[in-house]
Amino acid sequence: MKASIKSLTDDYAAALRAYLEGGGEAPLFRAYQIGRSAVAAGIGVLEVAAAHQEALVLDLLHLLAPDESALIAKRASEFFAEALAPFEASRRGFQEATGVLRDLNRELQQRIEVALKDYQAAQAKLDERRRMEALKDEFISIVNHELRTPLTSIHGALGIINTRLGANLPEEARRLIDIAYRNSRRLARLVDNVLDLQKIESGTVTFEIQTQPLRPLLEQALEANQPYATQLGVTLVLEETPPAVRVAVDGDRLIQVLTNLLSNAAKFSPPGERVAVSAATSDGYWRVAVTDHGPGIPESFRGRVFQRFAQADSSTTRPRGGTGLGLSICKLIVERMGGRIGFETSSGRGTTFYFDLPMEGAPGEAADTSACPESR
Amino acid sequence: MSRKPLSRILLVEDDPDVQVVASLALSEIGGLVVEVCGSALEALTTAPVFQPDLILMDVMMPGMDGIAALEALRKDPRVAATPVVFMTARAQSHEVARYRALGSLGVITKPFEPESLAETLRGLWESRDA
Repeated sequence: MKASIKSLTDDYAAALRAYLEGGGEAPLFRAYQIGRSAVAAGIGVLEVAAAHQEALVLDLLHLLAPDESALIAKRASEFFAEALAPFEASRRGFQEATGVLRDLNRELQQRIEVALKDYQAAQAKLDERRRMEALKDEFISIVNHELRTPLTSIHGALGIINTRLGANLPEEARRLIDIAYRNSRRLARLVDNVLDLQKIESGTVTFEIQTQPLRPLLEQALEANQPYATQLGVTLVLEETPPAVRVAVDGDRLIQVLTNLLSNAAKFSPPGERVAVSAATSDGYWRVAVTDHGPGIPESFRGRVFQRFAQADSSTTRPRGGTGLGLSICKLIVERMGGRIGFETSSGRGTTFYFDLPMEGAPGEAADTSACPESR
Repeated sequence: MSRKPLSRILLVEDDPDVQVVASLALSEIGGLVVEVCGSALEALTTAPVFQPDLILMDVMMPGMDGIAALEALRKDPRVAATPVVFMTARAQSHEVARYRALGSLGVITKPFEPESLAETLRGLWESRDA
């Protein structure tokens, strides 16, 4: 490379000498060509410039007239402008790229800021919602306490009169005390139901789901509700169930649902009748059914059965003492446990309320069932 | 197991009407000896003197609540072993579990049935350490 730079300097010097010796512009054009081909051959632009400079300085510069010197400088600057053009282009490209990057950066930053603001707003909303929920829970807990305290004294006072003094009271007073006493109990149930409904609906209630055998839960529910049914002259019967049926439920809540269905069934059964509870597979679920032989649900009411405070006939409200919330609570509970609730009814023949629960360990149960073919 | 039957109850309840009704239900119907305290703080000073067999206590009371009172009673050697039954609005099963874990013998839901209040307490009393 050194040799070729040396020859480059020599070539420049020769071209300049030819020019000075009266060669016109041709030698200058030749110098220009020398530079171009040197760059094309891979010699760096700065080295070419250095060779050009050296030729001028060493040999000839002092001999040139000022206008000649300007012409050479003009040619040289044209040459260097051309040689540097690609670099200039890439410098501009680099600047543009830098500009684009800077814009991108700014845009990204703006987006991040917007996203951050959105996030903070969402967080604030969430905090606010949590705060409101906590306030609501606290409010409900206070209402619960405040409603129950007077109810406790009313119910307690009436109960004591009933137990201790009932026999000494005139017939009319005894009847009225009995009405008040029963209704204070109903009011307590209504408070329970309203709060229960609100708690389940808002999700603040904890369901303690455990996989457990179904039959003991059915037995417990029947046992707990038989005294009430007996008062109405109704017998609760648990039919044979498939063995080893297991369900993933909150046991207390399942019994709450059964209690509701059983007391409804007993309420609407003629005295002397039976209410049957059964469990069987249905469409991939375990179906628990409570069947009565009551009057059936009037057609006009069938669409509103699970609505709040809906009762078929306002005349049934009083003697039957319901709160009108039982079935909507049942529906919420069953759905929270991954199940579904429904009914079949036939006027004058009776009603079956059922709920379906997802099957647990279905294959094992299937084997058990086939081992006991008489079970249903 | 042969133990002395339940006879002395300390009732801790801030509502005066509930105090009357509950103490009548326990004494007139239930045949128990009842002392009434209107606050948890009063109960902390009365309990060691009255020496009840069992303390029936409201949970939600102004000032010190039933939970704090139970913790304080447990620290007083004179009444540390006295069983406590809470009386409260219907509690969820995890709340009942928490009361049990704190050392209460049981929970009675308000409104209670006056005819059976004393019987329920006797049942809980008999079931101790069973």
